[in-house]
Amino acid sequence: MSGAVSALDVRSVSKSYGATVALQDVSIELQPGEVHALLGENGAGKSTLVKILSGVVKPDVGAMRMGGEPYGPHSIVDARRRGVATAFQELSLVPNLTVAQNLSLPRQPKGSLGLVSGAATQKHGAAVLERFGLRLSPNAMVAGLTLAERQRLEITRAFACDPRVLILDEPTAALAETDWLFRLVRQATAAGAAVLYISHRLHEVRELCQRATVLRNGRSIGTVGLEDATDHTIFEMMVGRSQAEEMQHRTAAAQSTRPAVLQAQGLAGDSFKNISFTLREGEILGVAGLEGQGQRALFRALVGLAPLASGSVKVDGALVRLSGPDVALKTGRGIAFLPEERKTEGIFPALATASNIVLPVIGRVGRAGFVSERLEREAAAESSSQVDLNSRYLDFRIGDLSGGNQQKALLARAMQTGAKILLLYDPTRGVDVGTKQSIYAAIRSFAESGGSVLLYSSELPELVHLADRCLVVYGGRIFAEMPGGDINERTLVAALTGHSMQETAA
Amino acid sequence: MSANADAAAASAPGSNLSLAFRRGLTDGAGVVAILYVILFTLYALWDRSALTVSGVTNLSNNAAPLAIAAAGESLVVISKGFDLSVAGVVSLSNVLMASYPVEGPGGALVSLLICLGVGGAIGVVNGVLVAILRLQSIAATLGTMIMGQGLALVIMDAPGGTVADWVSYTLTDVLFGVMPISGLIVLAVVGLWLLFRHTDACTGLFAVGADETAASLSGISVVSARFTAFVGAGLLYGLAGFMLSVQTATGNPTAGTPFLMLTFAAVALGGVSLTGGRGSLVGAIIGAATLMLLQKVLFSGGVSSFYTGIFQGVVMVLAIVFGSLVSRLAATGARA
Repeated sequence: MSGAVSALDVRSVSKSYGATVALQDVSIELQPGEVHALLGENGAGKSTLVKILSGVVKPDVGAMRMGGEPYGPHSIVDARRRGVATAFQELSLVPNLTVAQNLSLPRQPKGSLGLVSGAATQKHGAAVLERFGLRLSPNAMVAGLTLAERQRLEITRAFACDPRVLILDEPTAALAETDWLFRLVRQATAAGAAVLYISHRLHEVRELCQRATVLRNGRSIGTVGLEDATDHTIFEMMVGRSQAEEMQHRTAAAQSTRPAVLQAQGLAGDSFKNISFTLREGEILGVAGLEGQGQRALFRALVGLAPLASGSVKVDGALVRLSGPDVALKTGRGIAFLPEERKTEGIFPALATASNIVLPVIGRVGRAGFVSERLEREAAAESSSQVDLNSRYLDFRIGDLSGGNQQKALLARAMQTGAKILLLYDPTRGVDVGTKQSIYAAIRSFAESGGSVLLYSSELPELVHLADRCLVVYGGRIFAEMPGGDINERTLVAALTGHSMQETAA
Repeated sequence: MSANADAAAASAPGSNLSLAFRRGLTDGAGVVAILYVILFTLYALWDRSALTVSGVTNLSNNAAPLAIAAAGESLVVISKGFDLSVAGVVSLSNVLMASYPVEGPGGALVSLLICLGVGGAIGVVNGVLVAILRLQSIAATLGTMIMGQGLALVIMDAPGGTVADWVSYTLTDVLFGVMPISGLIVLAVVGLWLLFRHTDACTGLFAVGADETAASLSGISVVSARFTAFVGAGLLYGLAGFMLSVQTATGNPTAGTPFLMLTFAAVALGGVSLTGGRGSLVGAIIGAATLMLLQKVLFSGGVSSFYTGIFQGVVMVLAIVFGSLVSRLAATGARA
């Protein structure tokens, strides 16, 4: 391997934004045919490195070579022409254009007179979709696609350039199953492409990648062969402290005697039907499901963001009608919802973190109708300590925080409301290892102090470690319910795909 | 696997026509076109002369300047910007035409080129300020608007002057006995738009208007998209000023002032989203025509002209409410 010319060789690259050093002396080297993981906590500099490699920003110093030739793209189009294509984490699809148009940006196929040909664009789009096994209509507007469909399209667009170096930044954040992506990656590497794979999901990385380079605080800590490195070693490289202690299984007390706080009976709605469950005081009830099994609509219906066709909801034993998140908050002991898309549904990027946290209780941090900055800060500081959010972030604009810290702030906001029932929808999506631990701890202590949590997660280990019981949704129904002791990844995976536990046990 | 099933459902065949219909309604042009037909029917019932050639020519001449200005504004609005300089460009072109009349068809061409030059130049300035220096579009174009109006006052300090006779007679006339020339010019603008729709630049305009970051990560140059929008808009404002002079046959240094609010009204009425990324230049043109027609309808219906503004405002609000209802219904229909 060492004798071959590197597909991409980055040497001592640095980048600063004003006084903030984003990358310092970062080196990474990719071999042709290799899937190379880039690991690091949020804010470690992964995004900056991706932007430099894909031509969005220029490094201050450092040398890059591709296949032995100097490489210094001056734009994203230039990078693509030289053979580097990127599927971005924040998804770079234009919502008001069709799937086919997005696949041919920025230059669409031309017909006569040099004018863009709609038919040729559509044909090209259909061919690309066909080639990568994506069953989307080329004429569909991107705005109408689900998050998972958009993610697949973003990935497909990068693959369609037939790059020599492919950068996949959190490509599975919105995907529940990875077979499709991994197959494409393996095809590409078999053809000699190098893939830089960025993911927070270590089991994916282990399955797909041969080597990993770890970034921490903008520096490259080192490159390891994944076969020789334990999870512990990798975590330690990433977080730089022995925070990588194993998650212990929650000792599920016999809780069936605790009072029921949220009872759903025969709920049906947009994409789910006949859903019944009981959430008890102090309980963490897990919900597992592949993408698009109705769990999203279910969560949204429980706070009145989506309509309920039939069924009843009881909070603290009383029948309620939840017509919106504001009503849900004031119902019984209060229901707060942490939505899936923090950027569009959660944060107010231009406001300070503290203001974001206290937003639901803004009336309580004021005097005579005016918001008191001191009270706001005190309230925010109190709840941010519950989620282990460093109080120095409180005065920053939340938009400037890393994804993990934004998520902590949003969890703090949900707790700030005083609601004793939390509906958490994939609270650790795209969040780094250290932050995950803080979020787990916050959820646990919330439950221990008498709160109840309905937790959906796309990461099974999370449910295994956190949930007292776990519901598995499949095809819009509750397919299985597992008591705490029975929750393990094997049975969960089986249930997720619609196989009953008996079958797999046998 | 399940997502694929959803996708298959979404790509169910045979919905092309209803898709086109839905798009026509939701991009706003459909709603305002229906409104125009209703108003025109009312107008024709009240005033029989509406259906004569001179009636139609009158409407067309009346609406052309605002329609072309609104067309220009829609380019900037689609790319998620605001352009106030329309008032300055229209005033400036108008006083130039009235101060330096050039007779004959050749003269008309010279005047047109001057107007386009003025509009294009101001468009370039706007483009530099907004696209390249990244200033806020309202602030930057407010500046160029005031400059334009100030310059117009320097050239002509009070209403007066005369536009060349050839221009004011010929261009308000009718071709082949049926086709108003002003209408032809508006159609030519529409034709150019339909060609422009088939360029990467136009796709870039819509993309930048909807999501600037995604557009630039997709390889679209945000700078050139914005720049194109402002220069194209400036040229159209110049043409609007030219057509206004054709109409009024005289100069007025504040001739462009009413255009400021009315272009935005026409753009909004025509279903162009003021938040960018959605709409059509055709919608803006029909929106402008509707506003002008409404004046006529009210006049022929015997409503005092003092009430015109109230009616225009109410109709606009209703049209926008209706348009957003339709697009919301269409959106839920698409999801179901």
